[in-house]
Amino acid sequence: MKCLVDMQPYSEFMAEILVDASTLQRRVAELGDQISRDYAGQDLLLLCILRGGVVFLVDLMRHITIPHAVDFMAVTSYGVGARTSSGHVRLILDLQTDIQGRNVLLVEDIVDSGNTLAYVLDLLQTRHPRSLKVCALLDKKERRQVNVPIDYCGFVIPDKFVFGYGLDLDEYYRNLPFVAVVDPARYHPR
Amino acid sequence: MWILPDTTPVSHPLAHHPFPLQDYREFLDEILFPADVIARRVAELGAQISADFRGEEILVVCLLKGALTFTANLTPHITVPQTLDCMSLSSYGVGHYASSGNVRVHLDLQTNIEGKNVLLVEDIVDSGRTLDHVLRMLRTREPKSLKVCVLLDKKERREVPVQVDYLGFDIPDKYVFGYGIDIDEHYRHLPFIATADLKRYRKPG
Repeated sequence: MKCLVDMQPYSEFMAEILVDASTLQRRVAELGDQISRDYAGQDLLLLCILRGGVVFLVDLMRHITIPHAVDFMAVTSYGVGARTSSGHVRLILDLQTDIQGRNVLLVEDIVDSGNTLAYVLDLLQTRHPRSLKVCALLDKKERRQVNVPIDYCGFVIPDKFVFGYGLDLDEYYRNLPFVAVVDPARYHPR
Repeated sequence: MWILPDTTPVSHPLAHHPFPLQDYREFLDEILFPADVIARRVAELGAQISADFRGEEILVVCLLKGALTFTANLTPHITVPQTLDCMSLSSYGVGHYASSGNVRVHLDLQTNIEGKNVLLVEDIVDSGRTLDHVLRMLRTREPKSLKVCVLLDKKERREVPVQVDYLGFDIPDKYVFGYGIDIDEHYRHLPFIATADLKRYRKPG
């Protein structure tokens, strides 16, 4: 069969594996344990912002041993460019759940400028949750523009372009089981 | 079929708390598929999909929320170039335990699927009405191909014939939970798929 897809193998542009699969799994398990202890005996709603956080969410859920529900939001930024541009976001999928009086834990793949996260947190606070915390797998601290609390953090990472484990590179490579760094000089977007 | 080996009574952390969520062991009937059996089958499905789409690219469409766990575990086993998108749907009218067929789209695809190979991933198919409706809707957008990958098939409940290209397991007409499938929004996180004895189940709240 003729190959219809001219897809660059990620090994060609991967600078390094930043967090390998077993390290990721171990850390996710630790986060799950910690969350299970902190919320023991309480209600817990995990809230995931689509689509980057879903791989992390599914693994994290497996390690949270206390009962919990899960819900999703999808957001997009106003205007063109990255969703972190102004921080103002438009909800394209709102929660099915009324979060008033609930313990909400926002699960994010990565926090960089913090603008989007800050905006979403402000929006959620207006609905009077009992508590609102953030669990982020990756924290690019150097890039922070607004102060957002990260209550549970997987890894603090340098300001490099990363992909894998739910994080996409032009929508591809989300399914890789590790987090890797792109070498932009060797990466050719399709 | 596997029976839950651990029958020792557990003191649940929520037992004395105002938030009354029932321990699943109280209403669990039997474990249909333990975690390792699911993992093996999911890997097989991923290998089969990769072989069938060799040299092509696919868009994996996850139907929220039930198919999330299945999708997240399936996609690492799909080795062809892939992108991911999600849809959130609900049925009109009828309650939680039944399905009328007409669907309301809460979150539509961000991707234009025209000319693309689309793989729809669903946790469970029973009457087939919802899936049939979604497939008809997506076909109007003229994808290059449209295939369906379903983890669980309750064939006894089928009301309309529906296309299933990749199937994890056939299951009996029983209420199931775990591995992404909820009961009243809870118990999705359990790594196995089990049947519930609804007589022993108490609604939360």
